[in-house]
Amino acid sequence: MKLARVGAALAAAAIVVSACGGSGGSKTITIGISLPLSGSDLASAGPARDGALLALKDFTLAGYTIKTLILDHAVNGIHDPQQGSKDMTTLVSDATVVGVVGPFNSSIAKVQIPISNEAGLLQCSPANTNPDLTKGDAGKQLRAKAPDKINYIRVATTDDIQGPAVAQYGINKLSLKNVAIIDDTETYGKGIADAFAAEWTKLGGTVVGREGAPKGTTDYTAILTKFAAAKPDAVFYGGVTSTGGGLVRKQMDQAGLGAAAYLGGDGIQDGNGATDGAFINIAGAAAANSFSSVAAIHDIPGAADFAAKYKAEYKVDPGSYSASGYACAQIIIAAVKAAAAKGDVTREAVRAAGTNTATKFDTILGSVSFDAVGDSSQKIISMYKVDMTAAGGKGDWIFDFQVDYK
Amino acid sequence: MTALPATSEAGGARVPMGASLKPLLRLVVPAVFLVGAYAFMGPEQFVNALTRGAIYALIALGYTMVYGIIELINFAHGDMFMMGAFVSLTFLGQILGLTGSITDIARLAPLLVAAFFVSMIVMGAIGVTIERLAYKPLRGAPRLAPLITAIGVSFILQNIVMLKYGPFQTNSPKIFPSFDIVIGSAKIPALSVFIIVVALSMMVALQLFISRTRLGRAMRSTAADRDAAQLMGVNINRTIAITFLIGAALAGAAGVVNGLQYGVSRFDDGFQAGLKAFTAAVLGGIGNTVGAALGGFIIGFIEVGATVMGFSRWGPAIVFGVLVIVLVFRPSGLLGQQLGERA
Repeated sequence: MKLARVGAALAAAAIVVSACGGSGGSKTITIGISLPLSGSDLASAGPARDGALLALKDFTLAGYTIKTLILDHAVNGIHDPQQGSKDMTTLVSDATVVGVVGPFNSSIAKVQIPISNEAGLLQCSPANTNPDLTKGDAGKQLRAKAPDKINYIRVATTDDIQGPAVAQYGINKLSLKNVAIIDDTETYGKGIADAFAAEWTKLGGTVVGREGAPKGTTDYTAILTKFAAAKPDAVFYGGVTSTGGGLVRKQMDQAGLGAAAYLGGDGIQDGNGATDGAFINIAGAAAANSFSSVAAIHDIPGAADFAAKYKAEYKVDPGSYSASGYACAQIIIAAVKAAAAKGDVTREAVRAAGTNTATKFDTILGSVSFDAVGDSSQKIISMYKVDMTAAGGKGDWIFDFQVDYK
Repeated sequence: MTALPATSEAGGARVPMGASLKPLLRLVVPAVFLVGAYAFMGPEQFVNALTRGAIYALIALGYTMVYGIIELINFAHGDMFMMGAFVSLTFLGQILGLTGSITDIARLAPLLVAAFFVSMIVMGAIGVTIERLAYKPLRGAPRLAPLITAIGVSFILQNIVMLKYGPFQTNSPKIFPSFDIVIGSAKIPALSVFIIVVALSMMVALQLFISRTRLGRAMRSTAADRDAAQLMGVNINRTIAITFLIGAALAGAAGVVNGLQYGVSRFDDGFQAGLKAFTAAVLGGIGNTVGAALGGFIIGFIEVGATVMGFSRWGPAIVFGVLVIVLVFRPSGLLGQQLGERA
């Protein structure tokens, strides 16, 4: 493990890309990208990185040289909180860094926010959904070092909306009644599962089982056999593919749950059946009859233009969080420009501009503003289902509909 | 499991128990445990526990055999299991191009035999090579040196597989058809029965090999006293190599079983599985092959039992809690630590 970690750090340090240096280049400013970019997490976080890079590509500012620093905190192919906190330390200790896009997983945000908060560094997550990162006492605790200086914003909406949205999808649209719930015991996974369970019961559904298994688990047969005895018509998985989302689906058939529907949040919404390490790739044929959400808008204004631009650059279609990554970069760029207009682009000026609750940012996702704790004004959840005939018979997530919870 | 410490004398694993009592206890205690577990868990979970335990037991045997003969805790052994799974998925999935289950028994049987054969041979060869390159040169060195070398070998194996297959879950063809054997109201997956039978046969074969053959006797004598064995004409180098060969081959078999059962492998699967199997070996009494097998099954039962009782989140904590308790009362494990002396 250690070897891979050193390797990852070296590789990440080597990827210091210069994004079209500005004219003259009297002062260098750096925009960091902190995401899990190898292994199973690449399938979902890679498109977010590419979206951010696309927005940063043409960004120039007179008198400044703009640089990009990409750090990968996946260790051995899976997001690692220790590496995430190390990377954030690297970013805050580089005085030229004025904004960061990332992280992807809530468990990483939990360790990164205290560091970036103390340094007053603007951080925009394209995908974090755990409510406790910003709201209530838990959020305050993460900002204990500089409570009055909000520095963390996110464009995805939170799991106290996403979890219930999946429950509503299951009960109202799919007419499911009895659900068994399993989570990966992580910040995101347990959080969304709890929110899902509460809404499911509220809507008149029954939760017939609730279990947890940490990442690294390979054998889910005992849990699934227990579920099978309660005859659920759906299983909800709270977690991401890399912590077991695909494995659970794959093993359900063996335990007699092959006919049950499979529900999940954005954690299992990653790439099609041809993508290595993606949910549909791991679950294989068993992935049919699976449903998931994404805590972001699907029908973005100007979707066709964005898709065309993205495809021209990367030769593939945008992923679920490409537009979110793009939007985060757009917000940081807007904050940098606002700081420049006021005088100097300093870390503090960028932070203040990026978290100003009065500012409406014009992003690819539409007009977005942030509340007093840094949560987005846009509260849209998109729903997807697996179609095994898509992606040349390998299966893919197909957009179903989106709901605005404003 | 719960009954064992109560019926055994505390601490002194090497102190022989009353000769008349011992064989009886050895039969009665497991029998009572199994009946109790069956009644508590029900048939499906009982089979789940046996299946999971069988995989742990196969891996634990390699730990315990190597420890028994050269007192090395071979931390790379969990990764041998992981590599075994990758050899199997490469053979079945990439070389033979299989993807789904095969219902024709006339085709399935030779494929299964071939998968076990290939994985066990390849892993056996890798095991012997590692012993020759990494451990043999350190045989006279202080014990810490080979231990750290083993950790290094573990990283090397993980990184080789990560570079070759990528750091994500790789699919392994589940060639064994998914059908249940119905006994009353219980549905037992045929694959589980197959896995348990294969694992138990290998364990019995190993016991017979150690207790009945010349090589087995050489292993036992090397474990008991290497110098004396050498003086009596035992080829120490060959005996140690064979120990590694068998241990690694069993890990290879466990890898095949793992692929058939779960259908997915990851380059760091060996870490968790190795830790559990090592715990199993210590629980049973490291150096003792029967103990390792017993420990493997016990851990399978603890984990599945924890899930049945609604403590799935606490599975690993309960496993290691039990280990601590057992070691407090029996520092040398449930069956004490000898390689094959009584096997």
